[in-house]
Amino acid sequence: MELLIVLLIVVLGAVVGVWLYIAKQGDANFKFIVDQRTDFTLTGITKETATFSATVPFINNGSQDGTLMDVFPRHFLPCEQFDAVDTDTRLTFDRANRSDGYWEAYIVPVTTGGSIILTVKFTAKSGDIKVALKDMVDMPIDIVYQVVARSLWYIAKERLVMTADEIHKALAASEEAAAR
Amino acid sequence: MTEQALELKPVPTRILTDKDNIVDVIEKYVKEDIGPQDVVSVAESVVAITQGRFVRPEEIQPSLLARVLCRFIAKEGSLASVYGMQTAMNAEGSWRITWALFVGFLGKLVGRSGLFYQLAGGQTALIDDVTGTMPPFDKCLVYGPADPNGVAEAIKQRLGCYGAVVADVNDLKRAAVLGATQGLVPKEIAQILINNPFGNASQKTPIVIIKNYGLAVQKTVAQ
Repeated sequence: MELLIVLLIVVLGAVVGVWLYIAKQGDANFKFIVDQRTDFTLTGITKETATFSATVPFINNGSQDGTLMDVFPRHFLPCEQFDAVDTDTRLTFDRANRSDGYWEAYIVPVTTGGSIILTVKFTAKSGDIKVALKDMVDMPIDIVYQVVARSLWYIAKERLVMTADEIHKALAASEEAAAR
Repeated sequence: MTEQALELKPVPTRILTDKDNIVDVIEKYVKEDIGPQDVVSVAESVVAITQGRFVRPEEIQPSLLARVLCRFIAKEGSLASVYGMQTAMNAEGSWRITWALFVGFLGKLVGRSGLFYQLAGGQTALIDDVTGTMPPFDKCLVYGPADPNGVAEAIKQRLGCYGAVVADVNDLKRAAVLGATQGLVPKEIAQILINNPFGNASQKTPIVIIKNYGLAVQKTVAQ
């Protein structure tokens, strides 16, 4: 009986020890720092389309390396709210600089990070993008990301808002630059 | 015989998938370039992909054991993620992996490292975690190839070359031949491939022809 009790204590001690070890080890923890994003700037314009981009930093501030297996943007511009443009959003890891919208799974070492370049392309339904964007509204965009690290995979998201004001400012800045 | 003495010819291909047969692909891309004295080497992860030996993390149900044991693997290892560990367990058996990890741990206590991979089975060291292969398989775990010797023999038979190998090579100057045709010396071929002529993933060159290897062997024997 005493032997059984000793055995039980040893097993329990081992379980607690492993649990403490895992708890101390921790895991990766990702954060897209949307409040440190740059303003959207105009990167291309035609009669029908306007393309804006901004940079959003991210960090792994956990205690383990982690993999950003997928990252993609999701914009919210329902036609009930604003129906003058078709919208296409995509992003790329700035070091990869891909234009296909594909996120190549990337290991982010602990305490490091990087930046994504978020691109938003508006196409005017009327054929004139400057007219179409005149009454543009603020548009929320979620950065959705899938993480694989020591624990089970998960999907999380951070929201930023592309404001109508910065769209107008970016358009105005480009017009000023063109005028000069 | 070293790489410097032989011409290594990387062959670019399109991205290969599980819809491809590796022997057909090699025939399509390199048949005209291969002579009877050449050795064809092919990257092991590409062979595995053409065999359908990959899985998405979303398709894996990790056990509690995998969740615990992955914590005892160094963060750089493919088995450090719960999905890598579960994949190894699926390939080699949960108890074998557990036993190997336990013995490996004891070995480290007495200053002997590497026991885990010696005991955990051949697939354990070959599993690539996510990010380990090029898009679109960067979001998959890729096992090692099945029957690499058989694959090598099939390549040789179809192409009439001197020999063929399935090789695992990386930029860290690590090369291993997993499967080879009869008569080839795996260690010697691995040494020839040590500088990773397959290049990195984006170069899309999963096949490397070792030109005139047979002649070099004959010359060495004659000397």
